[in-house]
Amino acid sequence: MSAEQADLAPAKPGLGRRRFGCDGLLPEAFGLGFVGVVFAGVAAAYLICDYAWRQETIAARQSETEALAQTWAAQLGSAGDGDGQVINALGQSLGGFPQMRSLRWTAPDGTTRFEWPPSLSPVAGMPARPAAASGATGPPRIAATAPVRSARGEAPGSLRVERDAPPAGQRAFVLVAWGGAAGLILLAFAAFYQRLRRHLRPVAAIERSLTSYAEGLEKELLTLTLSDSLGAVARGWNRLIEQLAEMQRQQQSGCVGDASGNVLARFENAVFRRVLDRLPFGVVCVPPDQRVSYANAAAAALLGRPVNEIVHRPVGESIHNPAVQQAIAGVQARAGAGLSVDQTTGEGDHEATLRFRVLPMPAPPAGGDAVVTVEDISQLRETQRARDNFLYHVTHELRTPLTNIHAYAETLTQPGFDDEQTRKECYNVLISETRRLSRLVEDILSISQLEVGTARLDVGEVDLARLVRQMVQDNLGTADEKKIDLTLSLPPKVPKLKGDKQRLSVLLNNLIGNAVKYTPENGKVHVGVETSGQRMLIAVRDTGIGIGPEDQPHVFEKFYRAADDAVQMLPGTGLGLALAREVARLHGGEILLESERGKGSTFTVELPISATDPVEARER
Amino acid sequence: MSRILVVEDDPHILRLISMWLQRQGHVVLEARNGLAARDLVRAEPVDILVSDINMPGMDGLALIESVMGEGCVRRGVVVLTNRWDHAEIRDRLAEWGVQVLPKPFSPSRLSELVESLAASRKAGSVAVRPISSERGPCS
Repeated sequence: MSAEQADLAPAKPGLGRRRFGCDGLLPEAFGLGFVGVVFAGVAAAYLICDYAWRQETIAARQSETEALAQTWAAQLGSAGDGDGQVINALGQSLGGFPQMRSLRWTAPDGTTRFEWPPSLSPVAGMPARPAAASGATGPPRIAATAPVRSARGEAPGSLRVERDAPPAGQRAFVLVAWGGAAGLILLAFAAFYQRLRRHLRPVAAIERSLTSYAEGLEKELLTLTLSDSLGAVARGWNRLIEQLAEMQRQQQSGCVGDASGNVLARFENAVFRRVLDRLPFGVVCVPPDQRVSYANAAAAALLGRPVNEIVHRPVGESIHNPAVQQAIAGVQARAGAGLSVDQTTGEGDHEATLRFRVLPMPAPPAGGDAVVTVEDISQLRETQRARDNFLYHVTHELRTPLTNIHAYAETLTQPGFDDEQTRKECYNVLISETRRLSRLVEDILSISQLEVGTARLDVGEVDLARLVRQMVQDNLGTADEKKIDLTLSLPPKVPKLKGDKQRLSVLLNNLIGNAVKYTPENGKVHVGVETSGQRMLIAVRDTGIGIGPEDQPHVFEKFYRAADDAVQMLPGTGLGLALAREVARLHGGEILLESERGKGSTFTVELPISATDPVEARER
Repeated sequence: MSRILVVEDDPHILRLISMWLQRQGHVVLEARNGLAARDLVRAEPVDILVSDINMPGMDGLALIESVMGEGCVRRGVVVLTNRWDHAEIRDRLAEWGVQVLPKPFSPSRLSELVESLAASRKAGSVAVRPISSERGPCS
C-alpha cells in the first residue's frame, strides 16, 4: 500500500476492511467547486468590464475620428482645390497621429486626389481602391467620411479617415494569463489540500473508529496501514490496536473469558489476564494449529524464555517434551482426556522437576484448544523425599526396640528360660527397651510438632542454674561408668529466663548426653554457663571423637548420623541435636558448633535472657 | 552341636540369640560388627553364620559375600534384618540362597532355622554354595 493511502484495515486478515475517504468526498468536491466558481465569476466579471470598456473606447475613437475627418475636410476645402501646401502639412502631421491608419480624399468623379500613407498617393486620376478591399485585411478599424467643400460652395469630393480600432489581441492575452494563474492556484490548493488531508486522515480515522467503538456500532477497532512518515500517532495507534486484536483473538479462541465482544467482557478479560499473570503456575493455550496463543508470566519463567518468544510460535519450541506434545494433540483431537507429565532437568542442586498438565478446553465453542499448566514441583519432590526419608528412619528406629521387646517377651514364655536370672534379665531389657521406645516416640512427636509449628511452649520462669545442675547430675552415672570427668562451672549469679523448663531440660540433656556418649573413656566433659549482654551462653565442651567438617553442616538434621564408625558403633537415632536446635530456636536462641575430628566438640547454646516472647515463640 | 557365629551390633539382640543357641547346645561366637566377624571366621571357620545387615564398618552383606567366597562358613547363613523392604538387598540374599528373618523376629523361629541348617550337616548335604570360585583362607 502506498504512502498516499491511509486505510483502515483490521489487524488480522478476514475481519473486514474499510477505506478511508469515501464518505468525505462530498465536502471535498464542494470545496473544489466553490473555488472554481469563484474563479469563473472573477473571469466573467473581467470579460464584461473589458467588453464595456472596449465599446466605450470604440465609440470615443469613432467620434474623435469623425471630428478629425470634418476638421481636415474643412481645411482642405478652405485651402482650395489642389493646394499642395495644406496637403503636404496634413501628410506630415498624420505620421505622428496615434492609431492613424489611412486617409483618402476622393473626388466626386471617383478619382483619388490625396491618399495617406504616402506610398498610396498622390497620383491624380488614379482609380481609388475599393474600401472593402482595404478593410478586408488587418486589424479592425474605425472609419469616418466628411465632405470637402470649397469656399465657393463647390463639392470637390469627400475625405475618408480610417483608424485602428482598440486591439482585440490584448484581451485574449489577459484572459490566458488570468486562466493560467487561476489554474496554478487551483493546482497548488489541490496539492495542499491533498497533503493536509493525508495528514489529517489517520486522526480522523482514529476518531471515527473510536466513536463507533465507544457507541457500540463497531465490535472492533481498525488498524491504520500507513507509511512511517506519518509519525508516532499512527505507529502508536497500530501498536495499541495490535494488542487489542490479540486479546480479541484470544477471546475468540476461548482462552481468556468469552468472546461476546461487549465492553464488560473486555474489562473482565483484562482482569482475568492480570489474574493469570499472577498465578504461581504457568498457563499456556495451544490452538489446533499448534502455535501458542497465550502464555502467562509464570509459564515464561518456568519455561525459561520471554512470553513473546512463546506466543505465536510452535509449542514444540517452548515445551520440548514429546509426551506433552502428544497429549496436546490428543486433547485437541478429543482423543485424550488430559495427561500429567513430569519432566526433570539438571542434576544435584540444579535439579528441577516441572509437571505439565494437559487439559481440554472445558466448553464449546472453544473446542479443539488445549490448556497446558506448568508447575515447578521440585520443592514438592524434595518435601516428599524428606517425608519418605523421615518415615524410613522412624520405622527403622522403632523396629530396634520393638525387636528386643518382641524377642525378650517371647523368651519369657519359653519353658527353658524360666530361671530367676534369665527372667530378671529379660524384664530389665523389656523395661529399658520400652523406655527407649517411649522416648523415641516422644522425640519424634516433639520434633514433628516443633517443625510444623503446632508445639505449645509451657512458658514460665526458669532457674537455669538449677536446671543445668540437674542435667549434669543426671548424666554423672554414665560419665562415671566411662571414667569421664564431667564438670560444671556456674557464675555466682545466673539470671532467670522465660522458657519451657521441660523442653529446655531435653535440650540440655541431649547436649550433655551426646558429649558423654561420644567421649572415650577417661575423657573430659565440661559444662559452662555465662552471660553475655542480654544473652545467656551455655557451652558443653568435650574431648570426644569430634565431628569432621563434612558432617558439621548436617549434624542438626533429623536422623543424620555421621558415617564414621566411631559414631555408628554407638546407639543413637540422630534426633537429639535436631530436637535441641528446634527448642533453642523456639526460645529465640541458637546452637553453635565448634569441632575438630579427634579432639572434641563444643556446642554453645545462646538464649536471650529477657527478650524471649513466649507468644512469638509459640506462633513461630 | 554346631559352631555358630552371631554378628549383631545391638547388645540385647546379640545376648538373646546367644542365650537361645547355647541352650540348644551350640558353641556360640559373638561379634559386634562385620570386620570382627570376618577375623573370627578366618581364624577358625564356623558351621553357621547368623548376621545382621546394618552394622558399622563392614555391613552384613559385605561380610557374607566375603566369608562365603572364602568358604569360611560350612553349613549356612541366617540373616536378621529390618531392611527386608529393600528390593536390592532381598534380591542379593535370594541369589546367595541364605535364610532371612525380618526384624522383629521370633527367637523360636530362628532356633528352628539354625536347627534345620545343623541337621543338613548331619545329613551330609551342602547348604552353602560358594559365591565365587576364589579360594580364600578357609578353603
